[in-house]
Amino acid sequence: MNAPQTVMAIRLLVNGVQVEREVEVRTLLSTFLRDDLGLTGTHVACEHGVCGSCTILVDSQPVRSCLLLAVQADGTNVETVEGLGSVGSLSPLQNAMWREHGLQCGFCTPGILMSIEGEARSGASAEAICDEVLSGHLCRCTGYQNIRTAIHAYFATKDES
Amino acid sequence: MTASIDAQRPSLVGSSVRRVNDPRLLTGSGRFVDDISLPGTLHAFILRSTVAHGRLISFEFGESPADLVLGPDDIAASTEPLPFVWIAPDQQHLDLPMGDKTVRYVGQPLGITVARTRAEAEDAAELVEMTIDQFPGVADSLAALEADAPLLYPEHGSNLAVDFNIGDDSDVLEAAMAAAPIIVSRRLRIPRIAPSPMETRGLLAEWNVGTEKLTVWMSTQTPHHVRDQLAHVLRLRTDQVRIISGDVGGGFGAKEHLYPDEVMVCLASIRLGVPVKWVEDRNEHFTATCHARDAVHDARLAMTEDGVFLAIHTKVTGNLGAHFSNVGSGPFRVSGLMLPGPYRVVNAGAKISGVFTNTTPTGAYRGFGMQEAAWVRERLVDEAARELGIDPLELRLRNVISSEELPRLTPTFQEYDSGDYGRSLTMVRDRVREHVPLVDANPRIRRGIGFATHVEFTGLGPSVMQEIVGFRLGGYETAIVRMEPDGSVYVSSGVMGMGQGIETTLAQLAADCLGVDMGRVSVHLGDTAQAPYSAAGSIASRSMTVGGGAVVTAANTLREKILRIAAHRLEASAQDLVITEGRVCIKGDSSAGISLEELAEYSWLGWKLPEGETPDLEVKFVHDPSNISYPYATHAAAVAVDLDTGQIQIERYWVAHDSGVVVNPRIVDGQIAGGVAQGLGIALFEKVLYEENGQPNSTTFLDYLIPLASDVPDMVMDHFETPAPHIPGGMKGVGEGGTIVAPVAIGNAIAAAVPEIAGLILETPLSPGRLWELLRISGLINE
Repeated sequence: MNAPQTVMAIRLLVNGVQVEREVEVRTLLSTFLRDDLGLTGTHVACEHGVCGSCTILVDSQPVRSCLLLAVQADGTNVETVEGLGSVGSLSPLQNAMWREHGLQCGFCTPGILMSIEGEARSGASAEAICDEVLSGHLCRCTGYQNIRTAIHAYFATKDES
Repeated sequence: MTASIDAQRPSLVGSSVRRVNDPRLLTGSGRFVDDISLPGTLHAFILRSTVAHGRLISFEFGESPADLVLGPDDIAASTEPLPFVWIAPDQQHLDLPMGDKTVRYVGQPLGITVARTRAEAEDAAELVEMTIDQFPGVADSLAALEADAPLLYPEHGSNLAVDFNIGDDSDVLEAAMAAAPIIVSRRLRIPRIAPSPMETRGLLAEWNVGTEKLTVWMSTQTPHHVRDQLAHVLRLRTDQVRIISGDVGGGFGAKEHLYPDEVMVCLASIRLGVPVKWVEDRNEHFTATCHARDAVHDARLAMTEDGVFLAIHTKVTGNLGAHFSNVGSGPFRVSGLMLPGPYRVVNAGAKISGVFTNTTPTGAYRGFGMQEAAWVRERLVDEAARELGIDPLELRLRNVISSEELPRLTPTFQEYDSGDYGRSLTMVRDRVREHVPLVDANPRIRRGIGFATHVEFTGLGPSVMQEIVGFRLGGYETAIVRMEPDGSVYVSSGVMGMGQGIETTLAQLAADCLGVDMGRVSVHLGDTAQAPYSAAGSIASRSMTVGGGAVVTAANTLREKILRIAAHRLEASAQDLVITEGRVCIKGDSSAGISLEELAEYSWLGWKLPEGETPDLEVKFVHDPSNISYPYATHAAAVAVDLDTGQIQIERYWVAHDSGVVVNPRIVDGQIAGGVAQGLGIALFEKVLYEENGQPNSTTFLDYLIPLASDVPDMVMDHFETPAPHIPGGMKGVGEGGTIVAPVAIGNAIAAAVPEIAGLILETPLSPGRLWELLRISGLINE
């Protein structure tokens, strides 16, 4: 019997950049993004798929990067919070969260941003995101009220433009 | 008040400016501890006990693939015990030995493996053989006091660790109780809570073999305290240890001291001479990080037939866990100290019994003893109202201390400073009257509104008071405010940011006092090599009151110096000068003046200074407040209860709050909303469960539920401001109030909605299952 394969080469698009790496097959996608690519904006808070902090977009769909292996992302288009905007040029969603004080410690925030971004892209309404999508995330600081306000504010600016 | 010195310029204090650190947090460029990597970093895994009580008889790892394995003997030989901080009267244990081979709770750290990656460190841990002789265990505090209970410390003779009274003498109290016409007494319970910040604990330790210095990046609320403790435990000089706390993903009390597993990681770095990182995983967090609460209260409220309160007392049986935490029985003691609340009782006191059990030690968590006190007192008040047939809000108004009676010393030694407690009650009452209750066609949906009120202990605290209560942490804070040679302003403080926005609000205070724009000010926290010494750090809602008060005085003192120097340059009187738009000008004549850049440049050169003035534009001020600050609030909740399922929906929530001067209204609202959400979790979901023998049953977010967005309603908040008379700037603490009051406001609302079960609402969480059981007992559910 052959020894099990422990390392695999993967090729994927990360925030628009083509990436090729060899990874241990047991490596989580979240670990790969953080440790191999240095994209530390994706945060890991539970590693069992409950809290949503590690949410990223894979082919535009929000997924928990702690529940995927890096090898499963082979051939996909991955987007992380680093792709949304930058300190000097926040995205409209990031700006709305800032204006409405939608974050406190900021640890869960990147995952929430990626879920909202993904769902908004798929045509979800502000109401649906507040009522359903947001409940896929744990935030221990804010009490969620200001995140809801920020989501509505973001949709308002989106509708204007 | 920190009134703006320039009438034309709007005050920054009271302004909802956006938080300065949000852009980096929103873009993923924050630096939480796990985001930091140094070349050659190795990763650690902590080996823990999987049994609740026993004796480790072997720890063997043979030819381990790990770079390093340390077991309990090695760890014990290389360390001093970790000193406890808050010591109760007659407390026998004063510190925690590292590497104890008697295991007393699941999760107790026993050793460490270090390897190239976390996964490899876990692989190596799998190969370590630990044999533990199991003993019977006990998890419940009342069970642990029974005669045949297994003893955690047989040499101690009992699991009763500490036993003391606070407040009035027991004979005085018993006489008051005996003379009272009416006594409402209940046994109330507050369950065990896991603080659960979204970022778990973690550290990156780097021992430099050349300089023999240890630098530790750590997620902590108390960098200096951790530094002092770490140096002691590792037998280093304090100046050899530097703690750097960067972005902290929530603390809530769980990260306010040094833990034994953190010592092991530092020890590993010293042994290997390379950086070692360890980040707690969520499963670990549920047993390795201090829990909180877990108290049984046998409480009594005595009153006249007219409902005039006479005395209040509680006997607290508090679960300490397997050993004292750094604060030990402190939370149970604070429950007693704050038991009287805003009411005019003649006598008050508490008997505190702290009990060892085979569970994770209990320590600090948002609300620190006061959430328990509020649950006990405000439930008793509602029960008294029900028995007397008086409206609960009216009963509260009848007994609340009036503003004319402040300051007032309570029987539990709190000198309430300022405010109008009744106003918070009437303010919420009026808000609730505007509310049109929802109507449901379904007769099995019941609705009710509950109230609760409190006074809170914030801004710990005068150092002399800390000495009196045996709490070995200085109660002061120091600020350094400096105008640099280019006119920019550097502010440093020993308090820590962990989501509460303190970086922003300290900048607001400094900018306001100096009369400069916020953009000119930067705030530096968390690095013990830079920040002024802070014994207590960011705990006890003290960052803004004690730390902010220090910044106000330091910045005002610096402003006076700037005006003196400018007066000399402009040949004017300092009283006639203002700072406006980056210039010091003569009032009413903005053409004559000097820019702050020029003034700062020449000052640091030591040129053009008035006689006797030193060239530095830096002020350091140590603020040791003369008293605790006492904010207060009233909350009300409107709930709907489904009699068929036990499901509770919180439909409306109101808060009227006075935390003194509000520096940033949006941040204050955020603190309250987040606090209420945590209180809602306590009310409805959160309870760490153990088997009778000490096996934990709550080790993931699937079996320990914290509130989701769909659980937390939008809230209506009203503020009024009674400045703290003894704090520069007038601020009172605001971080904990939401959590303190919310559970009992919700409990009282459920009691109001379903009066048939009101007398059974004695403990949280009021989960659907628990409520269904109460409804069944009361005959409201036909099976």
